[in-house]
Amino acid sequence: MSEPRLIHNDLNRLLTGMDILFKRPDFSVGTTPSEIVYREDKMKLLHYIPAVEKPYPVPVLISYALVNRYYILDLQSDKSVIKKLLDQGFDVYIMDWGYPSGMDRYLTLDDYVDGYMNNAVDRIREISGMDKITLLGVCQGGTFAVMYASLHPEKVKNLVTLVTPVNFDTDKGLLNIWAKNMDADKVVDYYGMVPGDFLNSGFLLTDPFKLMVAKYVGLFEQLETENDNGSISHNQEIIENFLRMEKWIFDSPDQAGETFRQFIKDCYQKNLLIKNAMVIGGKKINLKKINMPLLNVMAEFDHLVPTDASKPLNGAVSSTDKEVLVFPTGHIGIFVGSRSQKEVCPRIAEWLKPRSYPDGTNDTHKRKNKRKKPNRKSKENVT
Amino acid sequence: MDNTSFEPAHDFFNAWLDTYEATLGRFVEVPALGPSREKYDRMMTGFSKFVNFYTTWVEVNSDFQKVFADAMNRVQERVVSEMGEEISPGKYKDFYNIWIETYSSAFKDFLKSGHFASDMGRFMSYFMEFQKYNREMLEENYLKQMDLPTKSDLDEINKELYSLRKKTKELARQIQELSGKGQPTS
Repeated sequence: MSEPRLIHNDLNRLLTGMDILFKRPDFSVGTTPSEIVYREDKMKLLHYIPAVEKPYPVPVLISYALVNRYYILDLQSDKSVIKKLLDQGFDVYIMDWGYPSGMDRYLTLDDYVDGYMNNAVDRIREISGMDKITLLGVCQGGTFAVMYASLHPEKVKNLVTLVTPVNFDTDKGLLNIWAKNMDADKVVDYYGMVPGDFLNSGFLLTDPFKLMVAKYVGLFEQLETENDNGSISHNQEIIENFLRMEKWIFDSPDQAGETFRQFIKDCYQKNLLIKNAMVIGGKKINLKKINMPLLNVMAEFDHLVPTDASKPLNGAVSSTDKEVLVFPTGHIGIFVGSRSQKEVCPRIAEWLKPRSYPDGTNDTHKRKNKRKKPNRKSKENVT
Repeated sequence: MDNTSFEPAHDFFNAWLDTYEATLGRFVEVPALGPSREKYDRMMTGFSKFVNFYTTWVEVNSDFQKVFADAMNRVQERVVSEMGEEISPGKYKDFYNIWIETYSSAFKDFLKSGHFASDMGRFMSYFMEFQKYNREMLEENYLKQMDLPTKSDLDEINKELYSLRKKTKELARQIQELSGKGQPTS
């Protein structure tokens, strides 16, 4: 292609992209219908409207990290872990930690794990009539789920951990290297609530040129310049998908100072969790108390939670039914990448299905999983 | 990334800091006398906090400058070897690819080094200390004088609220247990 033509094409791409942006495209996220079934302070427990008439009896509670928002698991309908689980016949709940403010700065790990999470679990047990639930923890939310499962094994039927750090003594992740040198006391003593933007700067620094330059150049490079209907909708879709991800990346709640302090010091710096030496609210976390079926899912190219940080969990618990799944993807790709819908979610669902019946019942029941028409509107869409 | 490449700059700043501590630093740390000595002493700690912050800030900056300069040299070498001598506007994409790859890799190497982690850790630490000092001075010398609420006041209230909230939840739980309703759920 001649030089003027090449420059003309790129300029056209830029103008095409700008034109779509000027029209304020719709990039709402978290649109799978749900209702709030429990609230406590800023935490909300969402119950997704089941997609089948008779979901599996053991409900699934998803625990997401405090950093960023839970809707990465429901970013858009064709990239939704939640929707996939619902379609597979599960009864799904998720905890939305909300946006903590100054009055939450003294919340501790114990408040999150043995307070909010425990109350959410009790509420789900009450709604479902089940004694035990499946706990599916994601990233830091997975670490919380591990802590919870060791404190309350009697309430957890299955534990699924997704890109979850439990062993923090590794030099394969930049966060692990940096956190060892961070004076968490000074950060918390100054900020009180640790700003989401402060943490985001750290995440951006993990790969600054890719995350702050190449990503945006790549967006415009994907756009098509032919002026037919096909390329218009293709471009629109690319920009909307990009904006959803962009919204999620920079939608970072502040962190409760005391929780941040303990997480950095006890987990990242002293690595107490995997040593069974972590104490929250005066209670020791002993991973050997985790005796339920465990599925530990990780991403091979995870730059935030390397597999070295997740794998040791299986050796630390006393469960006999335990499995590790590693997918060739990254930390975010595991939720929204092409493999997520095709491989990750189906494999998790296949593992969970036979284990989603109450203890002592037969899992060979013939279940009619007729798809249900959604008849209730979402009460909790994030836009 | 080779730590030794950063050493000359660090040696320079260490020498600068040593000189400060042996001269002006000694002067500002002389204990104050008289009725306002407490306030004056607190104010004077700002000097050393600022010097610590400034030194580490300049060090981190000089580290980044060094990486930028090294990456730029590598870009130039790659441009010559991969793009040939004739560089035309049509090759701007090739140039961009070389630039982004080289800078990305140079910075990744630098950011994963223990050297960066320790320098950044020190910088953050001094930065937080200095910022905290600024806030304390602002509260003491301005907000309190004007009878305005301070962040420290709010923190105190937040702490009180937190323990009250916790106590209330615990009492509600106990009441429900005693009345035979089990765990509270809302």
